[in-house]
Amino acid sequence: MRVGQNPAKFIDHVAQPQRVTVAVVSYIPFLQGYYAESLQVLKACLGSLKENTSYPHDLLVFDNGSCEPVRDYLMEAQSSGQVQYLVLSEKNIGKGGAWNFIFQGAPGEIIAYADSDILFRPGWLERSVEILETFPRAGMVTARPLRTPEKFYTSTLEWADQTPDVRVERGDFIDWEVYREHVMSLGTSEQEAREWYNSRQDLRLTYRGVSALVSAAHFQFTAYKSVLQQFLPFEMDRPMGQVRSLDERINAAGYLRLTTCEPLVKHLGNRLEEAAPTASRPGKKLPLSARFLHIPWVKQGLLRVYDSIFKFYYG
Amino acid sequence: MRTGKNPAKTGIPAYAPRQLGVALLVYIPSQEGYFQQSLEILRYQIDSLYRSTSQEFDLLVFNNGSCPNVVKTLQEWYEEKRITWLVHSQHNLGKAGAWNWILGSVPNEIICYADSDVLFRPGWLEASLRILEAFPQAGMVSAQPNFFDVLDGEGTAHLPLLNDPDYEFGEYLPPAEIIDEYCFGIGADEEQSAAFHRNPIPYIVNRKNNVRAVMGASHMQFITRREIARQVIPLPATRAIYRPETISLDRHMDQAGYLHLSTQENYVFHMGNTITDYLLNELKTLQVSHQPLPRPQSRAVEKRSLHYRAAAALARRPQMHNLFKRLYNFLFRVLYTEG
Repeated sequence: MRVGQNPAKFIDHVAQPQRVTVAVVSYIPFLQGYYAESLQVLKACLGSLKENTSYPHDLLVFDNGSCEPVRDYLMEAQSSGQVQYLVLSEKNIGKGGAWNFIFQGAPGEIIAYADSDILFRPGWLERSVEILETFPRAGMVTARPLRTPEKFYTSTLEWADQTPDVRVERGDFIDWEVYREHVMSLGTSEQEAREWYNSRQDLRLTYRGVSALVSAAHFQFTAYKSVLQQFLPFEMDRPMGQVRSLDERINAAGYLRLTTCEPLVKHLGNRLEEAAPTASRPGKKLPLSARFLHIPWVKQGLLRVYDSIFKFYYG
Repeated sequence: MRTGKNPAKTGIPAYAPRQLGVALLVYIPSQEGYFQQSLEILRYQIDSLYRSTSQEFDLLVFNNGSCPNVVKTLQEWYEEKRITWLVHSQHNLGKAGAWNWILGSVPNEIICYADSDVLFRPGWLEASLRILEAFPQAGMVSAQPNFFDVLDGEGTAHLPLLNDPDYEFGEYLPPAEIIDEYCFGIGADEEQSAAFHRNPIPYIVNRKNNVRAVMGASHMQFITRREIARQVIPLPATRAIYRPETISLDRHMDQAGYLHLSTQENYVFHMGNTITDYLLNELKTLQVSHQPLPRPQSRAVEKRSLHYRAAAALARRPQMHNLFKRLYNFLFRVLYTEG
């Protein structure tokens, strides 16, 4: 039975969401093995967001079934006011599922998305929003220049061809060191990175005084919510691996995929310190035991055991 | 730097949401005055949901800026796996603001929304679904007869059906006990109560399947389809509870051609903010108690080989857990580092 008047009826004004929602998805099921440093990485991510994002925004964190220490940290961040919206999912609904949730639920007109292993540098959001607002039909803007396969930005190339006011330049606009920093963070060898770097060039577009490079990536991007909603829902049946479809869908719908000219975000991966390369280090011979473990059929067997243990607990 | 392969990419399945998602909106800014018993009432609500819902469901709780003790309790229930998705909003976004979140993001095919003071009775879901399925134009279905036309006679979604021979319209007066319970729940005074007892309410019948529903639905509790929910947002949201804003849900629903409908029986009950003897009797009937909240049923797992299941069962034994953990760490070191 209701007794009295609900005082909420007399609240004249409620908090209005900011125009930009910065959204981070985390999945750290335990703190060993691959995920041993992932909580420190997450802290570095959110810490850099706090320090280097002066553009008004709300922070949304979607936790996709992480372990208790991670949840405790996120709750602390939420109660201290660092996180405006904290979504705790008891089950891992996959990255696609998290995107479905965030891209529909996040209240901002603009969503700046990032995986939880991204470090943010000053100006990242300002520059991203500037490009988003300047280039018509901008679909997604990543705050770091990249070289990615052309098939994912054909619409951008078409737009550039057909737009007389845009200046198009082809060349090496991404420094080797900037390129190397990102590609090595993915676990690629220096030799492979160098081969890729030498095999491609960059495209720079300048429109209404604002420059951007042609490319983008789904590990971090800024986009209009209304654009992202056109491509929902994403497949939810696997935790990862289907997110490439966002790149494909945005390009197929004729939207532009762009990056900032400067590296304003950095991919950290699952380790904070750059680990020494493995057996590919030239001139260093591995001990016999290590060489045995790297024999293909031995390694396959070990990998199967390794994956199975993960599936027992989290599959 | 990335070292090793993310095990989440090994092809394990992600959680697939159930057909039904229930979303509760919680705003308990303090545990005094009007809100003194609100947390306990919320607990009864969740308990009644689990006891009265015949199919598995996912539970989303939207915490719209409640006080620390309520946050702590919600978190405990979440840790105990009573809640599937727990959304903490730092600030109160208002009812319409929270609806924008909920109706936009709940992934389940059928979405049930409820305020945090609604008691659920057995049969609520079946009765609601029967109406949702019997009327293709149904937009929202409440599990309690609707006594109040929120659109003030300006609804238009039903007009195309007036001359349709497959549908019959009429008015009726619900049984007195149903009206009494409704009046009790909202704290109606004598005059209001007399009016409810006097004025019949409209109904609609689908002649093809002979299903009857009351015209009108309530913001207090309703079910809708996910696709419809996505169509009716965003709603304006500047105040906490503001009729012109909450009514925009109904306007959008009606303008899109969807009907507001409700059941003829009281399958839900408005508990309000005060625990009464009436409520306590009801809780006793439902076997809702101060025991720990029921757990959701676990889903049947995909059939795996005997060896796999045996190994997985072994891995979950506490004594083996540490051993598997150490093995896992060792394998990560040898496979992905020089270790």
